[in-house]
Amino acid sequence: MRMMVVFEKGAQLRFIGHLDLMRTMQRALRRTGLPIKYSNGFNPHIRLSFAVPLSVGVIGLRELMEVPVEDCVTADEFMQRMNAVLPDCLQIRCCKAVEDTFPALMSLVAGADYRITFVKTAEGKKAAQCFSGFMNLTEYVTNRRTKSGENPCDIRPFVLAGKCEEADDGYTIELHTAALKNGMLKPALWFDSLCEYAGCAEVPHLIYRTAILAKSQNGSLIPMEEL
Amino acid sequence: MCYDFDALLNSVEKPARYTGSEMNAQVKPFASADVTFAFCFPDTYEVAMSHLGMKILYGILNDLPYAVCERVCMPWVDMLSKMKEQNVPLCSLESRTPLKEFDIVGFTLQYEMSYTNILEMLHLGSIPVKAAQRSENDPIVVAGGPCAFNPEPLHQFIDAFMIGDGEDVIVELTDIIRDCRKNGISRRECLKKLASLRGVYVPSLYHDEYNEDGTLKSITPVEDNIPQRVLKCIVTDFENAYVPTHPPVPYVQVVFDRIMLEIMRGCTRGCRFCQAGMLYRPVRERSVDRLVEVARESVENTGYEEISLSSLSSSDYSCISQLAEKLSEELKDKRVSLSLPSLRVDKFVQDTLTHTQKVKKSSLTFAPEAGTQRLRDVINKNVTEEDLSNTLTNAFSNGWNAVKLYFMTGLPTETDEDLLGIAEMAKLAANAYYSVPKQQRVKGLRVTCSASVFVPKPFTPFQWCAQDRPEEVLRKQHMVKDAFRPLKSAAFHYHDSGVSQMEACFAVGDRRLSNVLYRAWELGCLLDGWTEQFHYDLWKQAFDDCGLSIDFYAHRVRDLDEVLPWDHIDAGISKSFLKREYEKALRAETTRDCREGCNGCGLQKLKGVCSGCE
Ligand code: SF4
Repeated sequence: MRMMVVFEKGAQLRFIGHLDLMRTMQRALRRTGLPIKYSNGFNPHIRLSFAVPLSVGVIGLRELMEVPVEDCVTADEFMQRMNAVLPDCLQIRCCKAVEDTFPALMSLVAGADYRITFVKTAEGKKAAQCFSGFMNLTEYVTNRRTKSGENPCDIRPFVLAGKCEEADDGYTIELHTAALKNGMLKPALWFDSLCEYAGCAEVPHLIYRTAILAKSQNGSLIPMEEL
Repeated sequence: MCYDFDALLNSVEKPARYTGSEMNAQVKPFASADVTFAFCFPDTYEVAMSHLGMKILYGILNDLPYAVCERVCMPWVDMLSKMKEQNVPLCSLESRTPLKEFDIVGFTLQYEMSYTNILEMLHLGSIPVKAAQRSENDPIVVAGGPCAFNPEPLHQFIDAFMIGDGEDVIVELTDIIRDCRKNGISRRECLKKLASLRGVYVPSLYHDEYNEDGTLKSITPVEDNIPQRVLKCIVTDFENAYVPTHPPVPYVQVVFDRIMLEIMRGCTRGCRFCQAGMLYRPVRERSVDRLVEVARESVENTGYEEISLSSLSSSDYSCISQLAEKLSEELKDKRVSLSLPSLRVDKFVQDTLTHTQKVKKSSLTFAPEAGTQRLRDVINKNVTEEDLSNTLTNAFSNGWNAVKLYFMTGLPTETDEDLLGIAEMAKLAANAYYSVPKQQRVKGLRVTCSASVFVPKPFTPFQWCAQDRPEEVLRKQHMVKDAFRPLKSAAFHYHDSGVSQMEACFAVGDRRLSNVLYRAWELGCLLDGWTEQFHYDLWKQAFDDCGLSIDFYAHRVRDLDEVLPWDHIDAGISKSFLKREYEKALRAETTRDCREGCNGCGLQKLKGVCSGCE
C-alpha cells in the first residue's frame, strides 16, 4: 500500500531544494514511528517520491508525494502523526491510501496550476495591463536554461487558460498549464517573459503552485488528488 | 514577512541557510519574554549548525520559561554586501528580530580566525562594535567557548566572557542581566555583578601594564571586590547535565548533519600541544544506560539517520565496547547508523571494529601528529609504530582501504628527520595494507596524510614556544611533499602558513591585538577561516598600522617567568605543572595517562572536581 500525500510547502521554505525537502520528509517519517516500508540493501532508506519537483523559489500549496507504508496505517493517523512533527510551514493537507497497483504519481503528471502575485507599483501595473495581450499571442519564444545550456522554447502552448485579477493590495495571475513533450512550464520564466513583453523592469513577485494536475477520465486536467 | 529581506534572498547563493523554520526550531513569543538572548555563531549557518555547544546552550536557555534564545549566524559575502546596500540589519533566524533588540548578544569563540566576523556581526546588528561606546540601551555582549581562555585580543569588543563549561553560568548570567534590566540598574553596575560570578571575566574592570621590552607587566583589577583571577566553570554532574535531544534539524546539509552523542568531556592523555585536552579537564563520562536513553530520545525527536560519538578521545571511554554494542542494538531496528570517530591508534579494539562495520563503515582516521617516536615522546602522543601497524592491518583485513593520517609540522625540537618520518608513516600504512592477503583486502589503497602548522596555545605546556617563521614552514612542507613523491598510493596535504601565523598571534596575543583586529576589520578582513577570503597582506598591514610586530607574537620563545596575557584566567591547571611538562618535553620524556595515576595537574586542588586524583 502507498500513501498519497498532499502537503503545503510554505513561503518560508520556498528556497529549500528538492533533495533537502526529501531528506526532511524522510526524517519526519522516521520520527512518526509509523510502519514505513524501507528499501532493501546496505543503506536502507524510505522510498519516498514526489510527483514532480517544485522549483526553488516557488511556494507549493498542494504538493504531492507518495510513501510506501504497511497496510495497517490509516490516512488520518498518517496525517496526524506527520503534522505533529513537521514545522508549521510544512504541513500535510490531506492524504489517501492507494493500492500498489495504482500508477506512480510521477507518471500521472499532466500539468499544474500556478498563481503569481505582485504589487501595484508602476511597473507592476504595466505588467498587469499587458496580460491580455500576452495571452493573445500564438507563440512566445524565449531562452530556457536546461542541462545542455540555453535553448529556445515557445512558452505559449503550455498555458491552457489564465486570468489576471486586481485587488486592493496587488494583482493575482492564475495560470492553468499543461505538461508537454518538452516538460513543464517554468512559471518564473513565464512571468519574466510577460515583463519583457510589457517592457517593464523587474517586478517583485511571489509564485505559488496551487495544484498538480492529472488527466481525468473525460480528458480534462484536474488536481491529481481528485482522481 | 520582511519584504526587504525576501528581495535579498532571491539573489544570493544558498538562500536556504537564511530562512530558519527548521524542525525543532524554538519560536517562542519574543515580546513577552523577560529576557532575550541572541546566540551568535561567528561563522556560516552550515558551520554553526554542526556545533554541539550551540545546541546545548540553545536548549538550556529556551527551557527557561521566561527566556527566549534565538540563533544568529554570519551571512556569506554576497548576502553581506546586499544587506549593506539595502540597509537591512542582521536578524535572528527564528523571529527575524534585529540583533540590537536583544537583551544579551552572546558569541561562541571556537576559532581565532572567526574574530573579525564578531565585529562585523555587531556592526550589521547596529550595536557599537567597541564596548566602551555602548549605551545603556544596547545589549550586553558576552562570549564563551575555548578561545575565551585567552580573552584579551577581544577585550575591546566583549562586555563579559564566560570561562569554562557554559551550562550553568549562562543561566546565572542571563538571570542577573534580566534582573538588572527590570530594575533599571546601570550597565556598569550590571557588569560588576556579573564579575562576581564564578567563571565570568569583565575586561573593562581590569587594567594592563607593559615592560619596556614590550612584554606584559601585569593585568590587575581596577577596583576592590573584583577577583584577581577568574576561575573556570566546571560541570561536576556530567551524567545528568543537559543533553540537547531536540535540536533544530537543518534543511540544508551542514558539516555534521547527525546526532552527536557527547559520551564524555575532557581527556586524560596529556598531549602537550593540545589545548582542548587541558581546558576540558577533568575527564567526565556518562553512563552507558544514560547514553542509550538520550540516543533513543534524540532519534525520536530529530529523525536523524546517523549518530556519532563525540568527545576528545572516544576510544578512551571506559566501556566503549559495551556502548558500541548497546547502541547498535538499540539503533538497528530504527535503521540509524552509528559511526565512531576520532578513534585512537592504541585502543582500536577488534570487536569495536566489527561493531562499526555492522552498522556503517565510517572513514578511518588517525592522528600520530609526529613522524618519529622521539618527537611523539616530546609531544606526549602515546602512539607507537607497532600500534599503528597492528590497528591498520586489522582494519584493512576488515574491509577498509582508505586511511587518513594527521600530523603537525613545526613542533618544538623538530628536526628534518622527524619530518621525513611522516613519509615513513605513510609507508608503514601501505605495508600494513599489503601484509593482508590479496583476497582478504579491498582493492585500491589510499593513504592521505595532512599536516597542520603547529600553533602554540594558552594553557598548554607549549604556550611558551615559538611558531616557525613562514619561510621555514614552507621549506618543511616542500621537503615532506618531495618525500611523498615516490609513494604511489599516498598523498600529502598541508595548511597555509599565513592563516596559522595569524591564528598563533591571536591565540597567545595580549590586549594590544584588539587594535590590530579592529584595523583588519576596517581594512575589510572577514570570514578569514575560509581560504579564499583570507588576505594575508591586509592582516600584515593591520599589524604595521598599529605599530605591532607579528614576530613578537608568533615567533618568539617566551621566558618561563614572563607574565602571560592569560595569567589572570585560572583554567584549573597550574603553571608549575605546565612548566614541568614543558621541561620534560625538551628532554623527550613522556608523562603517563592520568587514569593510571594522578600527575598533579592542579585540578586536584579544587575539591570534589577530579575523581582521578582521590
Ligand atoms: S588532577 Fe590528576 S587525575 Fe585529575 S586531571 Fe589532573 S592529573 Fe589527571
